[in-house]
Amino acid sequence: MTTRVIDEVLFDDGDPPRLAGARCSGCGTVVFPRQDSCPKCSDGAMSPHVLAVSGHVWSWTLQAFAPKPPYRPPSGGHRPYHVGYVDLGEVLVEALLAVPRAEIRIGLPVRLTTVPAYRDEDGTEVVTFAFRPDLDGER
Amino acid sequence: MRRTDEVYAIGCGMHPFGRDETVTGMDMAERAIREALADAGVAWADIGYAAGGSDVSGKPDTLVGRLGLTGVPFVNVQNGCATGASTVLAVANALRAGEASLGLAVGFDKHERGAFHVSAARYGLGDWYAETGMMLTTQFFALKTRRYLYEHGISERALAMIAARAFRNGSDHPLAWRRKPLTEQEILDSAEVSPPLTRYMFCSPGQGAAALVLARGDRAFDLCEQPVRLASLAFRTRRFGSFEVFSPWLPPGPHRSPSVDAAEAVFRAAGVRPADVQVAQLQDTDSGSELIHLAETGLCGHGEQEELLSAGETEATGRIPVNTDGGCLAGGEPVGASGLRQFHEVVRQLQGRAPGVQVPGAPRVGFTHVYGAPGISACSVLTV
Repeated sequence: MTTRVIDEVLFDDGDPPRLAGARCSGCGTVVFPRQDSCPKCSDGAMSPHVLAVSGHVWSWTLQAFAPKPPYRPPSGGHRPYHVGYVDLGEVLVEALLAVPRAEIRIGLPVRLTTVPAYRDEDGTEVVTFAFRPDLDGER
Repeated sequence: MRRTDEVYAIGCGMHPFGRDETVTGMDMAERAIREALADAGVAWADIGYAAGGSDVSGKPDTLVGRLGLTGVPFVNVQNGCATGASTVLAVANALRAGEASLGLAVGFDKHERGAFHVSAARYGLGDWYAETGMMLTTQFFALKTRRYLYEHGISERALAMIAARAFRNGSDHPLAWRRKPLTEQEILDSAEVSPPLTRYMFCSPGQGAAALVLARGDRAFDLCEQPVRLASLAFRTRRFGSFEVFSPWLPPGPHRSPSVDAAEAVFRAAGVRPADVQVAQLQDTDSGSELIHLAETGLCGHGEQEELLSAGETEATGRIPVNTDGGCLAGGEPVGASGLRQFHEVVRQLQGRAPGVQVPGAPRVGFTHVYGAPGISACSVLTV
């Protein structure tokens, strides 16, 4: 079975892939996904910036009901899933959280991973970014 | 002082909020306008300037075909949750500029059932964002609320207290949609939508219309026994660092909301303090939003909400009555009409003729606040 990432703009070309943002040379603002202009200042130039792979849950919630399209459920159909913001230090990134309910909390150390998003018409497994508990991150 | 650059509300009208398949958005708008005109004791032909807003239910200026082809200038507004406030701002500014002495603001909408439809492209986002199930307003409100409760040590019961008060006030209000009171426990135990928010902590898209007749100070007192002065109105968009819906990323905090900017501006311009407010309307798309807005507008300090709610201070009989008509939680949220519903309720409260529960002791200072996507807020101070 072939696999592809949901949108190449979100990732660098490493293996495993990391999240690709951009950083402003003027004010240091980090954005994700990358964009060509800085939302904070008008002085700087934006250059590609790879985001940290580990951080902490900043906030979280559950998506209990199946969203309307254009949401595309995984091949097994919609099951409630967690989403949240992950604090990566220089930026907070919104992401799916592959964390069980019993473990999820603000401050939980998490690490970048990929999870199945949906299956394409041709059978390709499409994956997206997510964060899972980071057992090494607990200090 | 009855200066010509001061603007007063002299009449208001409202079509009941809720669901009624027999009427269109325009039908409701027409009824609200006719009621507001009758309330002010003026005719459509007397209106020298008009503004109307609707998100999904048609072009407001086409209402002239129903009301009378008088040639009146009629501005259309589409400003999300701030639509109603924007129509009032447009009319008030026109009156102050001397364009007319009488004006009318109207807002209406009729939405489909269920969560609002969204398009990633319309918000400048890639398809991946919606396809992976992150583009939902309900998630945003839950994420913001979860973080806020954590930072300020507030329990989830505070969210239930807000919803319970909304439904209690709604049950007494003839124009509200949700008329059945619910206990805090029923609200906490209702289906989980996006924790910490449950089903009964969210408002639903609905339908409704509301209208306001405004007059310049030199006419207001001849036409109305109890004109309500629009002391100030401020509208702000977001600045860098605000925490808004549909944000794939956020800068590290602190996150400052446009509600803070709009509230500070409106109190400064009116020359009153948040502590002077005796009846308030706050955007309550969900319980968490109202909780946060209580502090962002300055009506209380961050983290003081739970104590305020527990002590009954936001009830009609409390120190700072909030959403005496049940707000969006009990009224539903027809986007274009919601802001003018707030004006309708506060004007009627200050005139001592609230349709539902009346704040006792003849309140003299009222406040309205709306907030919505993509990071907009408008506040007003009304006085008698």
